[in-house]
Parts: sequence; structure tokens; C-alpha cells
Amino acid sequence: MIHPEEIFHTIDMIQKENLDVRAVTMGISLLDCHRVDVARTCEAIKEKIQRYAGNLVSTCDAISAEYAIPVVNKRIAVTPIAHVGAGFDVDGFVAIAQALDEAASSVGIDFLGGFSADVSNGVTVGDQALIAAIPRALTSTNKVCASVNVGATRYGINMDAIVLLGQTIKDLAEQSADSGGFAAAKFVVFTNQPGDNPFMAGAIHGLGQHEVVINVGVSGPGVIARALERRIAEAGSENLGLHDLAEEIKRTAFRVTRSGELIGRQVAQALNIPFGVVDLSLAPTPNVGDSVGEIMQILGVDAIGAPGSTAIIALLNDAVKKGGTFASQSVGGLSGAFIPVCEDQALANAVRDESLVLEKLEAMTSVCSVGLDMIAIPGSVDAATISAIIADEMAIGMINGKTTAVRLIPVPGKEAGEFVSFGGLFGESAIAPVRNVGKSSRFVKFGGKIPAPIHSLRN
Amino acid sequence: MSNSQAQYIISIMSRDRVGIIYEVSNAISELDGNLADVRQSLLCGYFTMILLASFPPTVTHRMIERKLAEVDARSDTPIVSAVKNVDPSDLRIGADYPENSYVLTARGADRIGFVATVANFCKEHNINIVDLSTTVSDGEYLMILVIDLSQAQAITRVRQDLTQFAQENDLRIVLQHRDIFRAVNEINLPLRESKRMLLTQTNY
Repeated sequence: MIHPEEIFHTIDMIQKENLDVRAVTMGISLLDCHRVDVARTCEAIKEKIQRYAGNLVSTCDAISAEYAIPVVNKRIAVTPIAHVGAGFDVDGFVAIAQALDEAASSVGIDFLGGFSADVSNGVTVGDQALIAAIPRALTSTNKVCASVNVGATRYGINMDAIVLLGQTIKDLAEQSADSGGFAAAKFVVFTNQPGDNPFMAGAIHGLGQHEVVINVGVSGPGVIARALERRIAEAGSENLGLHDLAEEIKRTAFRVTRSGELIGRQVAQALNIPFGVVDLSLAPTPNVGDSVGEIMQILGVDAIGAPGSTAIIALLNDAVKKGGTFASQSVGGLSGAFIPVCEDQALANAVRDESLVLEKLEAMTSVCSVGLDMIAIPGSVDAATISAIIADEMAIGMINGKTTAVRLIPVPGKEAGEFVSFGGLFGESAIAPVRNVGKSSRFVKFGGKIPAPIHSLRN
Repeated sequence: MSNSQAQYIISIMSRDRVGIIYEVSNAISELDGNLADVRQSLLCGYFTMILLASFPPTVTHRMIERKLAEVDARSDTPIVSAVKNVDPSDLRIGADYPENSYVLTARGADRIGFVATVANFCKEHNINIVDLSTTVSDGEYLMILVIDLSQAQAITRVRQDLTQFAQENDLRIVLQHRDIFRAVNEINLPLRESKRMLLTQTNY
């Protein structure tokens, strides 16, 4: 029998502490959709997505009603389109993006990821056309998200690709200037991009995955923040060490992950397709009380970004993984704490107050997932500087054998300290200053490749 | 156990003290009775127990009652008991918590008829209450019901009516599948059985 206290505790998690399932993402292989021409390829893609995902939203809603746990986002991840459209020209890739958008709208999902390529060790004709198509693809669609993997611990970092993508980010922002450069928020650059990540904008259905699969992303910063507050209030902060707080995070992560695992498996079972992974990421939302930054404050830094911030993120990230791993049969995706500035009110406030700067964010990403995420920067920052910021972040991922990513929004016509709002889960933020703009162009100009790291002598 | 055994449901109520369970179970074993299942609960110093026992055909209903009356006579706290002979086909062994059981919690100001109001909603919606407990905290009355929705309408419909019911009666009501409470509080994940899918399969 479940104890009444456990019942009320569980209900509080859901009702008051924002426990939800952040994303149920259906991965669909589109490898068999390539046809002799673009039009027929687009038809095949739409048909396949509608066939598999036609009931995704209604199934999620039904299971959500049964357990009374919201499934915030229903999404689709597809085979990186560079593989599916290889051989078509730039116009062909734009048409495929539009077909994906139509399919996404027709099945009622929130976002579709996979307008993507992996160029970590070199570029194919498909990759080249896809990258060139990204600005038009993302500005002429609503739900499609794009990503490019430019680095891997095994292959090194493709600096030539990073040079191109610095300009891509500028183009995306400038071509969506009327919405604050929002198109750039739908594009992310990766190192060691996982093929089973349910979170946008970087969700793809990688090679080596199932024909079709359900992956789940849990949420829970609010639940963890409230659990920590309760623990501190009960025991008194003078009686608690960081190990006690890590233990509390671990236990709470178990509960959060369990609900994701249960919902995900029920959705997969109802649709009669395999269940893939739970992504243990702690994903904040702009809602008050659902913030990773707030957890950092509870764990003892008065200003986010103050010394100690990186250590706190390391503790948090590790405790979430420890609790979550035991709660789930198969864990994957990004699995770590996210620090997306615009999407997290406490982080956005810290950027506004200038306690949190780009360099400290970069340091924090070396101990958590996933990278420099949803950071609004001045629109005047040049492409080469953006490329250099990407290179730094990719180096952290490559050397440490982990996933890192960059999603920057150079807001057109705005400077540091000004404000931008993207709405909904994308949130809002002050524009973060970028220091030393224009001082990295000689480095970027070299291009070429940063070789893969050695795997012994690990220090 | 042979099929010729007769099944009895026995209920016991008394003020709580040390030794009641021993005295009752000992009386049953003296009649060669076998305990199949027992639930015992305490409320404000009062003890209640319901048990399922089987007896040889030679043991009559009357003999069991008499034996329990002897237990009562020896006890300094009166022990009220009731004995009912049951048809084994009426017993739903292990079905106390059906697969489709939900947890309903209702909170609101303490008042006369709180439980009756909620129970009436359940009755009108053909919802069976399989477990019920209540507590008072901070002047609020809290009611936790485990309910079986297998005879009721679709969950979405029940939820709709429940929202209206909660508003009309100034209650805060939450309805969730019991599995979610088990999932976040127990080591085992409560999953419904399904066929294993091969990792080499592509036809879904």
C-alpha cells in the first residue's frame, strides 16, 4: 500500500512543483524515402510521417489524462536529412524542409528535428546542399529544427564547417529580424551529437537507431528546487552538507525519471512501437519556479555566475544522472542539466544583472549538458567571432568525450543589455555582452581541422 | 487445501490492546482453521481486522461464533465479531487493487457530510471505492480513495464531471492512476505486460 504521505508528496510534485514530461519524441527513419525526384521524395516523407505519427498526439493526450501528468511537447525526430536528400540541390533541400513542416502540422506536433548533417570528419554533397539550405529552410517553415554536428572525439573538429556555420547563424538571425532573429533559435551546432536525443533544436533520429521509436525527455528543475528547499527547512542548513543535498537531488531525480519512463513506455506500448530512452536532462522552462538557476541559488550562490557556480552545476548534473539511471531501463540522449539562458528565468536575470557572462557559462558547460544554449548576443557580433565561440565550445566536448552544443541568437539591431523576447518555452532575456569581438578572425581564417585528441595521458 | 473446506469472512472490532491478534488467530487454529488473508487497521485506539479463513466441513458457522464469543468472554475489552460463510466463487482473490485502480484525493474545509458527498459522486459514476482513509490537517479535511474505474465511463468524462463537482462543492480534487504513485515511490516499475519486440523488427 502506498502511504498517504507519499500520495500527497507525489501530488504536490505534479500540482505545485511543475513535474511534467517535457517531450515525447518519436524518432522515424526516413532512409527509405529517397525517390528519383524531389516532389516524390517529399510525398514519401509526408506519407511516412503521417503513417507513424498520426496518432502520436492523441495517444500522448490520452495517457496524460490517465496519469494526470502533462506531456508538454510532442515532437518528431527524423533521419538527418543530408542522408535522405543527398543528390538534390539547395532548392530540393528547402522543399524537403517545407514537406517536413507540412507533415509536422498535419499530425499536430510541436516541433520536428532532423534537418541535419554530420560533417565532423568531412562534407558530402548532401551535407553541403543542406547547410546552404538552412537559412531558407528555417525561415520558410514553423516547426522544423536544424542541427549540424561539426566535431567528434573520434574525428576532431571541422573548422571549415564552423566558418560556414558562423555565417549561417548570422543569416538566420538577419532573415528573421522582425522576430528578434528567432530562426537562429531553431538551429544548433554540436560536437558528439547523440542520435537519440528527444530535445530540440538538436533532436535527430540517427543512424543505428530503430525504424521508429519513442524517446522521452523529463523535466523537473521545479521539483528538485522544492525538494531541496523542504530538506533545508526541515534539517536546517547548518546540519546539511553538500553530500546530503546531492542525495536529495538523486532521490528526486529518481521520482522525476520514473514518471517519464512510465509515460513513455505506455505511449510506446499504445502505439505498438519500441521504447528507446529516457533523456535525464533537467530542462528548465521560463515559468517561475522551474529553473536550474534557482537550484544554483538554493545550493548557495547569491549571484548565478559567482565562484562556486561551476562546482554546483557539476554536483547537480551528476546527482541527476545517478538518480535517473536507476529509475530507467535505458537512458540516453543528452542526459544532464541544461542551462539555456532565455528559457530559464533565473539565468536570464543573472545575464541581465551581469553576474553571469558568456565565459562563465562556457565553464559551466564543461561539467553539464549541453552547451552555450539560447543565448542572445548583440546582432553586431561578426560571423568569425561566432565561429570562434563555437570552436571553443566544441573543443570542450571533443576533449572531454561529451556532447556540447552552441545555440546563439545574434539579435539584429540590438546591443548588449537590451531585451529580446521569443515567447512561449523559448522565453526572453537580456542580450549578453560578447567581449573581444573581432579578435579571433586570424584563428578562424586558418580553417582546416582540429585533430582528434589522444585518449591516454588524461589530464 | 481440499475443496471441501468451507470459507468464512470474519470481522473483529475491539479497543486496541496487546494480544488480540494472538487470541483470535489461536481460536481459529484450535478449530483447524487456516488463515488465507488478513487486513488489520487501527483508528484512534480502536482495532479492526477482517480475515478470510477456511475450516474443515465438520466446523460449523455456529462453532466459529461460539469460539469467538469465548475469546470475548476472556477479554477485558469487549471484542465484537461477525462471521459470514462465503461461496468461494464470490471471492476475488488478489483483486483488491484492480489493474485499473486510481487514486482520488479530495481536500476541503471540514464539514458534515464530506465523505458522503464524495462517495455519492463515486456511486453516481459507478466507481467502486476499494480503499479509503482520511486525515485532518490545518483545519482541512483530506480524503484519499483508491477507486476502481473499470465499471465507470471513460476517464476523460469522469475527469470533466469531477472538475465541475469539485467547483460546486468547493473541494480540491486530484485523480491519477495508481501506477504513477507506485512508479515514483517503489523500486519496481508497474508496467502492463506486452509482447517483446525484436531489435531486428521493422514492421510496426
